[in-house]
Amino acid sequence: MIRLAGAMSALILVAGGLGACSDKGSDPMRQYGPNPWLPEPKQYLLPPMSVPKAVGWKPGQAPTVAPGLRIQAMASGLMHPRIVYPLPNGDVLVVESNSPGSKPYRPKDYIQGKVKARAGAAAKGGNRITLLRDADGDGIPELKTVLVDHLHSPYGVAWVAGTLYVANTDAVLAFPFTPGQTRITAPGVKLADLPAGQMNHHWTKAMVATADGSKLYVGVGSNSNITENGMDAEEGRAAIYEVDRSTGAKRIYATGTRNPTNLAIQPGTGTLFAVVNERDEIGPDLVPDYLTSIRDGGFYGWPWSYWGNHVDVRVHPQNPAMVAKAIRPDYGLSSHVATLGLAFSQGETLSPRFASGAFVGEHGSWDRSPLNGYQVIFVPFVNGRPSGAPVPVATGFLASDHRTVRGRPVGVALDRTGALIIADDVGNVVWRVSAAAH
Amino acid sequence: MTEVAKGREARLLHPFFISLGGTLLIAALFTDFMYSSNALMQWSNFSGWLIVGGLVLALISAIVLLAEVVLGRAGTIRWLDFTLLAVATVLSIVNVLVHTRDAWTSVVSTGITLSAIVTVLLLVAGIRGWTVTAPRAPRREPETRP
Repeated sequence: MIRLAGAMSALILVAGGLGACSDKGSDPMRQYGPNPWLPEPKQYLLPPMSVPKAVGWKPGQAPTVAPGLRIQAMASGLMHPRIVYPLPNGDVLVVESNSPGSKPYRPKDYIQGKVKARAGAAAKGGNRITLLRDADGDGIPELKTVLVDHLHSPYGVAWVAGTLYVANTDAVLAFPFTPGQTRITAPGVKLADLPAGQMNHHWTKAMVATADGSKLYVGVGSNSNITENGMDAEEGRAAIYEVDRSTGAKRIYATGTRNPTNLAIQPGTGTLFAVVNERDEIGPDLVPDYLTSIRDGGFYGWPWSYWGNHVDVRVHPQNPAMVAKAIRPDYGLSSHVATLGLAFSQGETLSPRFASGAFVGEHGSWDRSPLNGYQVIFVPFVNGRPSGAPVPVATGFLASDHRTVRGRPVGVALDRTGALIIADDVGNVVWRVSAAAH
Repeated sequence: MTEVAKGREARLLHPFFISLGGTLLIAALFTDFMYSSNALMQWSNFSGWLIVGGLVLALISAIVLLAEVVLGRAGTIRWLDFTLLAVATVLSIVNVLVHTRDAWTSVVSTGITLSAIVTVLLLVAGIRGWTVTAPRAPRREPETRP
C-alpha cells in the first residue's frame, strides 16, 4: 500500500517535472513589442537549460550583417570585452571584465556555474580598459594599448569634463583624462560606493552621463534570481541610481528593475532608457527581457511581479501594494535573450533604415530551448517610443546547428563616423559594422 | 582448525549508513518547516544540503549492502524494509530537485510534503532497525562425540 502510493506519487512528480526536458520555447517574435504574449508560469524539477559550446571565430569567419552593411574585426585576442565607448577624437575604449566570482551557498550553485561556463561565461576578465586608435579611419586600429588596468570588474564608463568615470562593481572611480592620452597613470579617486559585497550575483554596473554632464546614472542588478538569497541581500539592489558628479552623492532613481544591464540617454528628449534582464526558471517564454524609459521614482515590478501585475509566487511574503504600483515596461525583447547592449542611433549615418531607434545587443540564452538571442538588433522608435518589429543587424554568432557559439555580443556603441561598434566576449573581438563601400 | 566462535553473528555495516542518511533526511523536514514558518532563506539552504547528504549516504548504504550480500555476510532480504527505503530514496531524489528551485517554491508546498512522506517511511524503517537483510544465522559447531 505504502509502496504503491509512494511509487505513484514519484512517477507523477517525475513525469510532470522532467516534462521540462521537452518544454520548448515558442516563437520569440510573439514577445517583441509593447504587448508580449505571456504564458502561465511553471515550476520545474529541472528547469530548461540549453548551452551551446563556446568555440570562438576561425580566421576569416565573422558575423553576418544586414544588406548594405559590412563588418570588420577591429581588435581580437582581448580578455572578455564587454563595453565599448567611442571617444570624440575617434579612439575607442574597450572595457574588459568579468565577474569577481562568488562562493556557492547551496548545492545548486556548484552545478549552475559549470553549466554557464560551457557557453564561455567563466573566462577570466581583463579588469582593464584597452584603447583602440584608428587614426586613418579605415576601421582597423593602428594602436591597441592598455589605458588603465588593475580595475575591479569594471563595466560602465563615461567621459565628462576632463574626467573618465569608471564603474567598478563596488565603486565609481574618477580618473583625470584627456582624449589623446594612451595611458592613465594617476590613481582613480572614488566618487561613490556601489552595492557589491561578498554576495554579488549580478555584478555589472552600467553607467551613462546625462547630456549636461551633471549626473551619472548607474544600473545595479539584483543579488539573486528571485530573492533566493534572502530579502536582506537585496537592499539597494535591482535599482538605477542617480549620482551627482560634483559631490558623489547618490540617490535611488528607480527600482524594481531586476538587472538593468545597460543605460542610454535618448537624444533630443534626454529621457533615460534601460535594457533589463528579467527573471528565470518559470518557463522558456517567461519573463521577457525589456527596453523601457525610466521614470524618476518609478517601480518596475521586481521581485513581486513582472510586466505590471503578473505576480511571482516564489516571493514570500507577497506585496500587493507594490504590485499595484508596478509600471509596465515599454517594449519586450523576448525571453532569456540577455540584453546587454543599448545605443541610440544618431541619424542616418549607418543606414537610412536605422535612422530613428536603438541598437540592442542580445548576449544569448543559456536557459531556453531553442536558443534565443545571440544577435544585435535594431528597435525602431516612433514618436520617441520603441515601436514595431525589431530588425536583425548582426547575426551568425551562433552556429546554424545551435550546438556551438562563436561569439556573443555585449555592449554596442556608435562611433563618430556612425559605425556600430560591438563587443564580443566569447570571440574576444571588437567588431565594427559600417555602410558597405559603394 | 579455526571456526567462527559459537553464537557469534556476522556484524552488518549497512544499517549504520542507512541510519546516518535517514537522520539527515528526517532533519530536512524540520528545516523545511522552519523555512515555511519564517521564510528565512538559510533554512531552505540547509534543507537542500541535508537532502543531498542523505542521498549520498543512501548511495553508500546501497554499495555497502551490495558488498555484504555478495560476500555472503548478509542473510535474507526483508522486502518491507527494502521497499520503505527504496521509495524514500526515490522520493528524496525528486525532493532534492524540488529544493533546487529558487525561493518559496523550493519548499512550499511540494518540498515539505515530500519531506514529510519520506520522514514517515524512514521512521517506520528506523523503528524496525534500519536493516534491509536479516543477520546471518550463527554457525553451529558440529557435535563432537565424547
